Amino acid sequence: MKSSERMADIDVFEFPTDKNSISIYIHIPFCERKCSYCAFVSFCLDKSEREKYINSLLEEIENFSTTKNVKTIYLGGGTPSLLSKYEIFAIFSKLREKFDIVENAEITIEVNPNSVDEEKLRAYKEVGINRISVGVQSLSNKTLKSIGRLHTKEEAIEKLKRIKKYFDNISADLILGLSGEKSVVKYAKKLIKLKVKHISSYMLEVHENTKLYYEVRDKKYRLLDEKGVTKSYDKLVKFLKKRGFVQYEVSNFALAGYESKHNLNYWNYGEYVGFGVSSHSFLRGRRIANADTLQGYYKRERKEEKITKKMEIEERIMLGLRCYLGVDISILKNLGYDIQKSESYRKFLKEGEIVEYGEKFYLLPKYFKFADYYILNLLP
Amino acid sequence: MKLNNKRNFCIIAHIDHGKSTLADRLIEMSGTVSKRDMQSQILDSMDLEREKGITIKLAPTRLIYEYNGQEYELNLIDTPGHVDFTYEVSRSLAACEGALLLVDASQGVEAQTLANTFLALDNNLEIIPIINKIDLPSARIDEAKKEIEEVIGLDAENCPCISAKEGVNIEAVFKAIIEQIPAPSGDENGKLKCLIFDSHYDNFKGAICLIRVFDGKVKKGDRILMMQTQKVFEVTEVGIFVPTTKECDILKAGDVGYIAGSIKTISDVKVGDTITNADNPISEPLPGYKEVQPVVFCGVFPVDGAKYGELKDALDKLKLNDASLQFSPENSSALGYGFRCGFLGLLHLEIITERLEREFNLDIITTAPSVSYNVYKTNGDCLEISNPSNLPPAVEIARIEEPVVKANIFTPPNYVGSIMELCQDKRGVYKNMIYLDKHRVELNYRLPLGEIIYDFFDSLKSRTHGYASFDYEFDGFETSDLVRVDILLNGEKCDALSMIVHKDKAYSRGRELAERLKKIIPRQLFEVPIQACIGNKIIARETISAMRKDVLAKCYGGDITRKRKLLEKQKEGKKRMRKIGSVEIPSEAFMSILKLGDDEK
Repeated sequence: MKSSERMADIDVFEFPTDKNSISIYIHIPFCERKCSYCAFVSFCLDKSEREKYINSLLEEIENFSTTKNVKTIYLGGGTPSLLSKYEIFAIFSKLREKFDIVENAEITIEVNPNSVDEEKLRAYKEVGINRISVGVQSLSNKTLKSIGRLHTKEEAIEKLKRIKKYFDNISADLILGLSGEKSVVKYAKKLIKLKVKHISSYMLEVHENTKLYYEVRDKKYRLLDEKGVTKSYDKLVKFLKKRGFVQYEVSNFALAGYESKHNLNYWNYGEYVGFGVSSHSFLRGRRIANADTLQGYYKRERKEEKITKKMEIEERIMLGLRCYLGVDISILKNLGYDIQKSESYRKFLKEGEIVEYGEKFYLLPKYFKFADYYILNLLP
Repeated sequence: MKLNNKRNFCIIAHIDHGKSTLADRLIEMSGTVSKRDMQSQILDSMDLEREKGITIKLAPTRLIYEYNGQEYELNLIDTPGHVDFTYEVSRSLAACEGALLLVDASQGVEAQTLANTFLALDNNLEIIPIINKIDLPSARIDEAKKEIEEVIGLDAENCPCISAKEGVNIEAVFKAIIEQIPAPSGDENGKLKCLIFDSHYDNFKGAICLIRVFDGKVKKGDRILMMQTQKVFEVTEVGIFVPTTKECDILKAGDVGYIAGSIKTISDVKVGDTITNADNPISEPLPGYKEVQPVVFCGVFPVDGAKYGELKDALDKLKLNDASLQFSPENSSALGYGFRCGFLGLLHLEIITERLEREFNLDIITTAPSVSYNVYKTNGDCLEISNPSNLPPAVEIARIEEPVVKANIFTPPNYVGSIMELCQDKRGVYKNMIYLDKHRVELNYRLPLGEIIYDFFDSLKSRTHGYASFDYEFDGFETSDLVRVDILLNGEKCDALSMIVHKDKAYSRGRELAERLKKIIPRQLFEVPIQACIGNKIIARETISAMRKDVLAKCYGGDITRKRKLLEKQKEGKKRMRKIGSVEIPSEAFMSILKLGDDEK
């Protein structure tokens, strides 16, 4: 079978590599309360601590220079919607002062339904934010309560309606694998009705030292078993496809044109700079991690790693295979890895699990849920 | 020094009875090694020995001790205390005039002690019983003495009672050595007659012979003849052990020391061989020489197939120091290129494989150990088969013989029932049972060696909470109803998992192994049937269900490093996997045959 015939199964997407642009990530580690599953760096801070953090963040931005223009900005957390509109103004005036942000830049903020309000939405609009990512997670009040979310189903729907008045590009998160949630299709249906254009749906991972970890260990919380999670994932994939959503990555679905450019830049091996505690940068072939404690962050402690050719090969395969960007064969070759000679590669190609198209190869989306298996087998 | 002021002796003890500690005290009190340089258990030179608390390699040392105004030279030859090394023990014993029989006051006489004591008696050694660990609250000195008298038949009434650990009464040991062990006899003007009781390899000096001189003398420049191998070498160095090597001018009758002679391969230096002067040889070698034969075999493969050459180099290097290690190239469809190695026993196997991993930094896969079978074919041929996958098809086999051993088990009486049950289960034939005293019973069984290397030690230990001790010696071959059980993974035979077992056990072993593999082999993208079969007959089946997903859900945020490191770790794990057809199996699976039956314990 020729690859071109197989291409019917797969959405090929070209995301131009632009050496002259850069993405910015800003970490807002504030939370009103930590959700039981959360392993991200976030803290419940009082007003003066928050002020200190924002000042440090502004200073960090101030001290960074680049000649490149900025194509995407992402405010993640924690809970960025806890920022007051003045804090938002402060951050954005600093960003605009320091960077050349292109006109159609994608600027995203993560919000929680309970902490976002009309005033903040207007502020977002004012500073140029044009994409809202809403932490819906579930539309069952019982489930939301059991994982420590502070909002209700009704609140989420009400806030999505408000957001819709101001913004077109809305994303929502749904968690897969929560106790008793054998399917999230009905939530996705509701979200689509509320004009959500992008859905991120992550299979729940239990990280050590989270509240959930202990609840599961002590049998106070029963996760959906692997069979259940996989089934709910399959159902969602099928449903979203029917509704015109493209599965452009293992856990990400979007209507055409609504893919997250910020995330695509990560997967496309583009450069980015992260500001804030625990944020990561990828600049000039180096991966840099800011300290993940506030103390360390204020001291500007960073870990830096130069990416060797071997690492780059691994990363390119790992990042490209799990999304519709694919992996560039000639780039791998230039790095010293002729993947077409790999036995596994030829086998996967023969079995039709991966396909070649142009200079790249792609994992068929129906195999996304086994992506790690393919990645592992394709590494040099 | 006069012959009269020399004593050559060794220590016989069960593992943990304090042999190395006593040796340390003797060295310390004789001032041979200064306190400053004293490292605990100085004679156990390998890390592995220190870790396992056992002595594998012999390390002789010369002690100078003043007694009644006279200086004495005491040569301590430390012995390995394990059944795998019985022959080496017998040769070191042959180099001595006396032995200290060290008995733990809380444990009493053990099977291994008894076996080695009888070896010493065979060599006409003067045996001095010593009761150790008298500082322990559980010490039962009188009963230990009584056991020595009743079980071994030695007079223990006035024997030294010591604590090697606390340094109590060590002087009494020196006194007994000097007063009771006869001085070596021998004629230093006679023809040269030396016994090689050990050897090791030195990168600069070549193979080193550790010797006891019985008659004559030897010095640098002499031409010597190895009587078994008939090889002649020129002596480049002679010396003694203090306990490190120290060159000296001459070794004379009664001395213990070493000879170097630019000997390139250790196989020219055979333990038990007799050295004489090539220009003035004796006519008869010393008695007791034996060619050492490996009894336990297993496949050793590099985890990374590309490291075959490194593995070969490492085995070559180990063999330099260990003539009893044997190996030949082997090819397995499951494991690729490697070596079939022969060992003196399970401990020897364990030591070698650990040294390969530690000292040579090699990742290796070992297959389950096997014994060597005599296979008589219908066409009259006889084959020695130590690799189950080399067994000819059943139709070509007239009969198979397996090695059997005479086993002695010492146990407190309350475990007798359980041990008999175990021996029965291991196809043992009951021979005898002796009530030695109210604490101890000796059981004699005839057992197939193949059952012993399987899990006998572990089972015995767990059934008797470690109170029983066990020793065995070869007792020939016996015809037995044996079959080969093969394992099919997804329909493909995995040669490295084949095993030769008794017909009556084939079903249960096959089933257990299939169950075990089901637990060890990770799920694949597809369903994997595991089948055990004899010939074409399937005797057991298990199924590994297919994997449902294999993906890390979240890979956003800029932390690519974490995910990459996770992947690199998985890749390392994958390197330890082997492919049988399309099924990936972890290297531990190949040893899992040995772990059968563990789950019931």
